[in-house]
Amino acid sequence: MRLRTWAFCLSEASQNLLRNPVLAIASITTTAVSLLVLGVFLLLSVNVNSIATSIESQVAVRAFFAHQTAESQELAELQTVRGWQGVRSASLVTKDQALSQLKKEFGKQGQVLETLGTANPLEDSLSVTAQKPADVKPLAVRLSHLAGIVHTTYQSSVVSRLFALINGVRVVGLAIGVLLLIGSLLVITNAIRLGIAARRREIGIMRLVGATEALVHWPFILEGLILGGIGAVVASGLSFWSYVAVYHDAVHSLPFLPLVSPSPIPRDIALLLLLLGILLGAIGFRISVRRLARI
Amino acid sequence: MISLRNVSKAYPTGVSALRNIELEIGKGEFTFLVGPSGAGKTTLLRLLFREEVPTSGSVIVNGHDVGRMRRQQIPYLRRQIGVVFQDFRLLPQRNVAENIAFALRVIEVHPREIRRRVGQVLELVGLTDRATALPAQLSGGEQQRVALARAMVGRPVILLADEPTGNLDPQNAQDMMKILLEINRLGTTVVMATHAAHLVDRARQRVVAMEDGAIQRDALAAAYHEEVSR
Repeated sequence: MRLRTWAFCLSEASQNLLRNPVLAIASITTTAVSLLVLGVFLLLSVNVNSIATSIESQVAVRAFFAHQTAESQELAELQTVRGWQGVRSASLVTKDQALSQLKKEFGKQGQVLETLGTANPLEDSLSVTAQKPADVKPLAVRLSHLAGIVHTTYQSSVVSRLFALINGVRVVGLAIGVLLLIGSLLVITNAIRLGIAARRREIGIMRLVGATEALVHWPFILEGLILGGIGAVVASGLSFWSYVAVYHDAVHSLPFLPLVSPSPIPRDIALLLLLLGILLGAIGFRISVRRLARI
Repeated sequence: MISLRNVSKAYPTGVSALRNIELEIGKGEFTFLVGPSGAGKTTLLRLLFREEVPTSGSVIVNGHDVGRMRRQQIPYLRRQIGVVFQDFRLLPQRNVAENIAFALRVIEVHPREIRRRVGQVLELVGLTDRATALPAQLSGGEQQRVALARAMVGRPVILLADEPTGNLDPQNAQDMMKILLEINRLGTTVVMATHAAHLVDRARQRVVAMEDGAIQRDALAAAYHEEVSR
C-alpha cells in the first residue's frame, strides 16, 4: 500500500477511536493495568529468585573453631572434611578473612567496624557446602563432632521457605496477569466490533467500489494495535522506570540485597510487556474479523 | 460485455431466484430489467458485480468469469462496474465531494487526479455548486445524483442501477433518467432494474422482462408492457 493509503487507514482508525473515546480509554486502561500487574509480578519473581540464589550460594555449614585452635589442627580437619562424601567444597575462613567479608557486606556502613580497631572478635571457621540440600543437616551434625569445633550453623530452612515463596509469587502473579489479560482482550475486541458496526455502511461502499480486503481490514488492525500498544507503552514505561527508581534507592539503603540490575532482565520484561500489548491488539482484531466478513 | 449462460440461482432456503437465464448484453447497450417484485431483477444484478455467485451456469462480465473468480480478484472486477441503489447509500458525515472522492481514495488514486475527476462527475450530474453540502442537506434527487457520481467517478465500463428512481418524485426520476441516458451515450453499458413504466416507455431502449426468476420477453426499443401489434 502507498504511504497516503496508510495515512488513510490511520485516519480511519483514529476516527473510530475518537467516535468512542470512553471505550478507547477503557481498552487502554485495562491493557495497561493487566500488563502492569504482570510486569510487577515478573519483576518480583526475578528478584526473589536472585535473592534466593544468592542466599543458596551462601548456604554453607559454618563450623567454628574454639579460640586459639592451632592452625595445623585446623588444616588437618579441613583435609578430613574434604575427604567426606557429600561435600562439594570446604575451605578455611580465618577470622581476618571473615572480618573483611563482613566489611564488604556492610558497604559504606562498614566504617562502623573501624571502631573495633585491631581487635577481632570473630573465630576461624570451616565453610563447607554440600552437594545436595538434603546433605546439609547430617553434614552439620558430623562437623559438630570434630575436635576443636565449638558450634555449627546453617540456613537451609530460609532457602526452602524462599523457594516456596517464589513459586507462590509466580503462580499468583501469572494467574492474576492472565485473567486481566483476558479481560483486556475482551474490551479491545469489543471496541473493534463497535467500530465495525459503526462503519458498516462505509465498509459496504468500500467493497462495492473495489477496495481490496487489506484496505478494509487495516483500519481495524491499526485500531487494535493502537489500543494495545498505548496500554503496553504505559505499562512498560511505568514498570521499568519505577523499577529503576526502586533499584537506585535500594542500592544505597539496602546494599546487601542482591536486586537484579535494570538491564538486561527488567528491560527485557518491559519489552515483553510491549510485545504482549501489541499482540493483544492483534488478537483482538483477529477475533473481530469474522464480524467484518459478514458485512 | 455481459453474458449469462444457463444461469440458475437458488438460495439455501430453497427459494429459486433465477432459472436458466440466457442473456447477452453488448458493449454500449442500455438495457431495462423490468418485472414485478421478486422476479429476480436484483439477484441478476448482484450476480454481475459478484455480490452473489450462480448456483449453476456461467456469468461473464467484461471478460471475467464471475462465478469462478478468486476472492482476491473481486475488487478489480468491481473497479470496472459502477452500482447505484434505490437507497443512495451515502456516508452521512462526509460532504458531497468527499462521498465521491471516497470511491477513488480507497482504490489509491492520486489526490490530484481525484480532485480532477470529482469535478468532472459533479458537472455530469449537475451538482457542482453543492460540492460542500452534507447528504442531509440535499433533496432525494440530489442524493441519488451524488450516488450516481460516485458510481461513475471510477470510469466504469458498466453501470448497474437497481431501482435508481424508486425513491424519487416524477420530476427527479425524469432528470435521473436523462443523466443515465447521457452516461450511456458517452459509451458506458447501462443495466437498469426498474418498476417505472413511464420512464421505460419514454426511453425506448431494450427491455428484458422477468417473472418468477425467468426471462419472459427480451425486446429492443420496447415499452414496459408487451405491446400488442398495431
